[in-house]
Amino acid sequence: MKDLTLVFLLSCFLFASPAAAKDSCYDCHGQKGMKPYVDKSAFEQSAHGHLACTKCHFDVSGYPHGKVSKVNCGACHFIGTEGAPKEQAQQYKLSVHNRVTAVGNATLPTCQTCHGSHYIYPSADTRSSTNRQKIPTLCSQCHPREFEVYKNSIHGKQLLEDNNPAAPTCFQCHMEHLTPPTASNAWQLALIKQCGDCHSEELKTYRKTYHGKVTKLGYVTVAKCSDCHGAHDILMLNDPDSTLSRKNILKTCQKCHPAATPGFTKFYAHAEEKDRAKYPVLYYTFLFMTVLLLGTFAFFFTHTFLWAYRSLKERMNKKGGE
Amino acid sequence: MAEIKRFNAYHRWLHVAMAVSFIGLVASGMPLKYANAPWAAWLMRFLGGYYAAGLIHRICAVITFGYFAAHIGYVIYDIAIVRKFRFNILGPESMVPWLKDLEDIYHSFRWFFGMGPRPQFDRFTYWEKFDYWAVFWGVGMIGVSGLFLWFPEFFGRFMPGWAFNIATVIHSDEALLAAGFIFTIHYFNTHLRPEKFPMDPVIFSGRLTLHELQHDRPLEYRRLVDENRLEQYLTGPQQTWITDAGILFGFAIVLIGFFLLILIVMGQFIY
Repeated sequence: MKDLTLVFLLSCFLFASPAAAKDSCYDCHGQKGMKPYVDKSAFEQSAHGHLACTKCHFDVSGYPHGKVSKVNCGACHFIGTEGAPKEQAQQYKLSVHNRVTAVGNATLPTCQTCHGSHYIYPSADTRSSTNRQKIPTLCSQCHPREFEVYKNSIHGKQLLEDNNPAAPTCFQCHMEHLTPPTASNAWQLALIKQCGDCHSEELKTYRKTYHGKVTKLGYVTVAKCSDCHGAHDILMLNDPDSTLSRKNILKTCQKCHPAATPGFTKFYAHAEEKDRAKYPVLYYTFLFMTVLLLGTFAFFFTHTFLWAYRSLKERMNKKGGE
Repeated sequence: MAEIKRFNAYHRWLHVAMAVSFIGLVASGMPLKYANAPWAAWLMRFLGGYYAAGLIHRICAVITFGYFAAHIGYVIYDIAIVRKFRFNILGPESMVPWLKDLEDIYHSFRWFFGMGPRPQFDRFTYWEKFDYWAVFWGVGMIGVSGLFLWFPEFFGRFMPGWAFNIATVIHSDEALLAAGFIFTIHYFNTHLRPEKFPMDPVIFSGRLTLHELQHDRPLEYRRLVDENRLEQYLTGPQQTWITDAGILFGFAIVLIGFFLLILIVMGQFIY
């Protein structure tokens, strides 16, 4: 009994200030081999390094402590009143990764699955588990098949082999925290804009076609970027294995147009009618139509305005004369 | 008061079919053309969504091909059977534009500027002939390009796929020309000009007053008198309900047309 009182008094002293408390945590958890072991300097450089251990492990109030429950990041990042960023957790709540929306599937990732626990760094930091170079491997832990395909795609090679800072990781399309269901219309439509963030010319010309206009109006039944170019398996157009290469394009068109012929595939899915060098027939058709419209309207609007003026004038004169 | 028969029921019904299908085509087509405009998605939803709008567009296209064929059939019937090939294709009862029309345009412009009297017209004025042939041109261009786009897999057997790019430009710009023309110039020339404002019911009632014939188409009046044919065209007044229903229908079409015109102008110049 006396011992317990001593421990109690000691722990009151130890945990009286957060800084002091943190130091005392390291007494045990700073020892290698301890579970969990926390590398003090690495933790202190992390995004949460300035916080007391008990800020997250709030069920620990002294030593010895019982079983410590899993940290709830949402305490700060979802409902907390302090400066912690919240939108990520709010998006996660809506995501297919959220166990609640996915009816309790316990294999789904929580914050810690991707971010880790003690060594959370800004994603620009190469130590971060969500640093862009590491994202595909991170996701591959649960999605190995997608990773295998992605890593050989033009985007995967640019990121993983050429370190291209503009190459998309999984996040650019799947929206890291939001990860909407891939079958959702809203996501499929949003994806077109995501592609257009980098491929802006292609988005502009796509929007001039029937496909691009129908999707713009919110309907997904027509060809979107990935229907023709592929998604995880996207390759350069000049790659013989591309979905749009000479040997594959017919099959690609036939996904939606089953009776398509080789001639059919000569459709310009990204035509630009103002580009005379590349699309001369289209250019001259557009020019002819423009001249026809301007000419017809110019003649008849002039005709109509003059007619209206003369008619009104004559009628006024007649009334004045009566 | 005696009235003059100008259009028979067949003409008038074809005009109704034309007006209804044209409005349907413009309303269901423009949201695609101006997909960027904020009203586009709204109008598409109003029509019942992308699939329903496409269906409306195709039904109206079939009506268009129908009235077009019906008119060609009528012209053949009229020339071959009614007139037994005694028809002057360049004469005043023909729709074919000829020298008199060029002279009329010239004299109309002189009249606009107060430099001369108004030219005297016969059965068909030059602007009526223009409206008439514009439909041939429009239905031809929009109809053929529309069929390409409706059945791309079929036409892809005979033509390279970029023909659909060409067809899209033609279909879209020709539609803008047709809608822009009908909703402004046709509306003004036939209904809204001060002489007829707010509406000329002749296309719905089929009848002109004798005064209108003498005043608006003096050459036709004199020709009918000279040829002793005026009697043939004299008729009692149209039943009121037909004229009234026609005017009501006409106003509805004109108002919908103006509404669509505002959307088109927004789509063309703002978004």
